[in-house]
Amino acid sequence: MLRLKLALLNVLRNGRRSFITLLAIQFGVISLILMGGFFASMYEGMREGVIRSQLGHIQIYQQGFNQFGSQQPEEYLIDAEVLQKVTKLVEELEQVELVTPRLNFTGLLTDGSRSLAVVVEGINPEKEALLSSAVKLTAGEDLFEEDTDGALIGDGLFKSLNLSVGASLTLMATTADGSFDARDVTAIGAISTGTREVDNRFMRMNLQHAQELMYTEGVTRLVVLLNDTKHTDEVMALLSEVFQEQGLALELRSWSDLADYYHEVVNLFDGIFFVVQIIVLAIVLLGIVNTMVMAVMERTQEIGTIRAIGGTRGEVMGLFISEAFILGLIGSVLGVIFSILLAQGITAASIMMPTPPGSSQNYPIRIFTEADLLWKNGLFGLLIAVISSIYPAVKASRMVITKALRFA
Amino acid sequence: MAVVKLKGVSRYFPVGNKPITALDKVDLTLERGEFVVLRGASGSGKSTLLNLIGAMDDPNEGEVFIHGKALSSLSDKQKSQLRSHYIGFIFQSFNLIPVLTALENVQYPLSLQRIANNEAKDRAAQALAQVGLADFIHRRPNQLSGGQMQRVAIARALVTKPDIILADEPTANLDSETSKQIMDLLGSLNRETGVTFLFATHHDFVLSRASRILELKDGHIVKDEQLQNLNLVDQIASGEKVG
Repeated sequence: MLRLKLALLNVLRNGRRSFITLLAIQFGVISLILMGGFFASMYEGMREGVIRSQLGHIQIYQQGFNQFGSQQPEEYLIDAEVLQKVTKLVEELEQVELVTPRLNFTGLLTDGSRSLAVVVEGINPEKEALLSSAVKLTAGEDLFEEDTDGALIGDGLFKSLNLSVGASLTLMATTADGSFDARDVTAIGAISTGTREVDNRFMRMNLQHAQELMYTEGVTRLVVLLNDTKHTDEVMALLSEVFQEQGLALELRSWSDLADYYHEVVNLFDGIFFVVQIIVLAIVLLGIVNTMVMAVMERTQEIGTIRAIGGTRGEVMGLFISEAFILGLIGSVLGVIFSILLAQGITAASIMMPTPPGSSQNYPIRIFTEADLLWKNGLFGLLIAVISSIYPAVKASRMVITKALRFA
Repeated sequence: MAVVKLKGVSRYFPVGNKPITALDKVDLTLERGEFVVLRGASGSGKSTLLNLIGAMDDPNEGEVFIHGKALSSLSDKQKSQLRSHYIGFIFQSFNLIPVLTALENVQYPLSLQRIANNEAKDRAAQALAQVGLADFIHRRPNQLSGGQMQRVAIARALVTKPDIILADEPTANLDSETSKQIMDLLGSLNRETGVTFLFATHHDFVLSRASRILELKDGHIVKDEQLQNLNLVDQIASGEKVG
């Protein structure tokens, strides 16, 4: 009890030094929480962006589509009967918000003077409006079921063809039976998916219109949107089981299986975060070691006295490590509190970030303060403080008693 | 059994390329209850002798025994435990821990022995009362006079009930009146508790209170005089009750 009190009193003894040490610990904790929180918000933004603009949480295909579908997409369409049955099965699950079909194919879009290759997506406009909430309308109006020949053109494509809303275009494509056909479409609006590459060669039209062009009643995929991303694996397992029971030759892909770019970005930023952690660790460690060594030097005679009156080396080490523990605990708690306040302040300020590479939308800085991030980095601050004290504590414990007592 | 025994103890310190002899083949025995004054000029080896007896330094030659136990056979931890249980220290500059009160400073050696907090507090309060500081127990060192600080240091040395108290110039930083009060206190504690005292000092007035005077010169004990002005040793030897 008294030994703990002595450690606490020693922390309070040199207020300025303890303050500097606390600042170093808080700097470390705040830096890591803010950076970690920012990255977490970025990951979430990207993840929900790809889910709610293109991928959904789960996609359902005809068996073999992912292996052979790129060569013969018409062979791997989900037919109308299966589509109806699967839609009903999926919609019965409580975790499912909606399920919508898509027919994808490539074609040639021409305004009469220029032609560009495009990726076409036939959609159910009403359901897609709910699923693709991250797709922004940048010009014109949204697509509705009654817009039988209407099309939403990717923002980049819209600009490169120098289109205006209401422009008449012709879309040519190879049909499901291998012939070549064309349909007139009207550019009723321009959309941005958030990914520039996609926006440069992407268009959406009514599913029925697309099916007429392709001479099919089938769809390429069914896209499932869940009420929470965390249910993805659970629903994947459930659906897999149900399809097997029902004898449906279908295959499933989660958003994570399909979002290669997302994973590349996450890996890159995790690498950056690791390097930053090492730098912060080094700064905080050196800062604390420096102040602790100064404390040891100043208290040399006291250390000699403690050893002379019977304190073991372990006792002296324990004293300095206890002091570091107290500083680490206070510094970490303050660091976590200030991090939460700063994160809330920064998020509330809605500071806009520049448009990231490959993206076509800018976004406000948001910093998440999830419990996991807070306690891990709080613990990190505490551990750093304790680890930093080991060298000074060993140095103190190894002092020659007679020399320490003579130290003035 | 002798409390302290030194057999052929030598201690050298390297200064440049040449070793300087601080103690040279010293033989010495201290019995229980002795009040021994160690005299000698600066550099005669007084502090070195105290450090060796206090298990804070190791001799280059010879052996130091405390209660018959050779210090060379002990680990650093065992030496710490020996200091904690058998030896008390009084320093010239008091060496109190500035952030602790008088009571806590005296309690601290007991907490090192893992004695329960309440018991340690009671014993520390008793020790402070013994040295006349019952009314000052909650004061910090910077709120005490030099004499009071030295009394706290004496209480701290006594509280563990050691067999020997080593004091290196305990009155050097005190005025003559306070020094005499401190020496009177130590003398009465010696009589009351039977603890052996070994002082290194320059002050001659201490001599009148000593039961034995040792004089060191160039690392040798050149004078070892038994005095009659305190009869504690004889009392112990004859089996009379002490304190």
